[in-house]
Amino acid sequence: MRTVQATRLVRAPAGIAGVALLGLVVSPIAFLAFATAPEDLVRALQDERLLSALVLSVQTSVVALVITVLGGTPLAWWLARSDRRIAGVAEVLVELPIVVPPAVIGVGLLIGFGRNGPLGVSLAFTTTAVVFAQIIVSAPFFVRSAAAGFRRVDEDLLLVAQSLGASPLRAFARVAVPVARPSLVAGIGLAWARALGEFGATLLFAGNLPGRTQTMPLAIYAALESDVRVAQSIALVLAAFALLVFGALHFLSREAR
Amino acid sequence: MTRFACAALLALAACTSPSERASVTVFAASSLTDAFRELAEEHRRRHPGVDVILSFAGSQTLRLQIEQGAPADVFASANPEHAAALVAAHLIGAPRVFAHNDLVIVVPRRARLRVDELADLATVERLVVGTAAVPIGRYTDELLTRIDDALAQRIRARIVSREHNVRLVLAKVALDEVDAGIVYRSDALSNRDVAIVEFPSESAPTAEYVIASVGDEGRGASWVALVTSATGRAVLRRHGFAP
Repeated sequence: MRTVQATRLVRAPAGIAGVALLGLVVSPIAFLAFATAPEDLVRALQDERLLSALVLSVQTSVVALVITVLGGTPLAWWLARSDRRIAGVAEVLVELPIVVPPAVIGVGLLIGFGRNGPLGVSLAFTTTAVVFAQIIVSAPFFVRSAAAGFRRVDEDLLLVAQSLGASPLRAFARVAVPVARPSLVAGIGLAWARALGEFGATLLFAGNLPGRTQTMPLAIYAALESDVRVAQSIALVLAAFALLVFGALHFLSREAR
Repeated sequence: MTRFACAALLALAACTSPSERASVTVFAASSLTDAFRELAEEHRRRHPGVDVILSFAGSQTLRLQIEQGAPADVFASANPEHAAALVAAHLIGAPRVFAHNDLVIVVPRRARLRVDELADLATVERLVVGTAAVPIGRYTDELLTRIDDALAQRIRARIVSREHNVRLVLAKVALDEVDAGIVYRSDALSNRDVAIVEFPSESAPTAEYVIASVGDEGRGASWVALVTSATGRAVLRRHGFAP
């Protein structure tokens, strides 16, 4: 009886706290939506700069995502399966870009992959530079999520599959991936969103040239300096686009579960 | 847990409540950073009881913050348009022009290519300028419309990035990642890793800086007086600004 009452006592404040946090998180976008007149939105949608920035953002973030998944899946698998200390160190290292401010990562990229860099390759101010920046800031989210998913895969199931004649790769694809799928899908969603929103590292390393390196966040920042209403509208377009893709991904991961 | 949360909230409230001491809050364009920091020391000497709070950002950002009710006492803008918009909204007093800033070419100290004049920009590998959304970019575009069309076309073709502010242009030149950039003289003087190449003065546009008190209380008057005094002009001149 007492425990039921205690639960009830906790439930109401907990619910209020949860709803309050949700409200706070959503509030900037909601205020933007209320403060933007429909005609501003129409004007922004007809803006040529918006279209070229949106196309570039989608192209670069998708390329970054494919590379992240191709490299991040084996890395996450190893992190999840290995007991060696070096795997623990690698797991911490791969998450570093989450903490380090992106602008600082951009400076590092400029020093390393600029024309005075030790590697002798000059990538600065190119579309490749945009993709590099996106991979570095977004990959940690995928690797982290994928590794968590792979940790749930039962070792015995893999052994059974292989003893029944499946190759290790086939066992991975048919046994491990389905178990980890919700985490993989969540990781893909997070990484893609982070790549799409990437700003600081791109600003420093790739610069800002419409059609070549000016992605949506950079276009929004540029618009902010000249006309706040245009910036507001472009930001809403980006938010709406992300909402659509997130909705679809969420639905997909539900299906997968 | 609850106690901790309350303590945190109280601390937050204490931080946001206005302080007892007199203060003057100055919103100024980023390019004024070094000059205004020096002037803040002078202000403290002249008015020991008054705290000077400096906030630097792009003029457009500052304008937006003032429009949204930011507690500024002075607005110093690198662009008269933003001040004019705030005057129209009855948010600031009459603006006064207090400084000018020339455009100059900057090249890395140990430049790999020779740049002696404006025309040489057509032969560099990489040029960075400001984006058209910010004043430095608009002045650069204006400069390019004042020179020979074919030359301007060839210079434009060398642009690899249109940066969001002058300091980003400067940083990329200072890192020797690009061969040249176009910035304000005051910014060029602030960085030891770049060398200045002058334009012929008739083709170069000049940025105009204006200052105004915000609100009706006149709390910014002492700052405006200092900036426009002989001392203020001397400090500004030392940082590359023309009177």
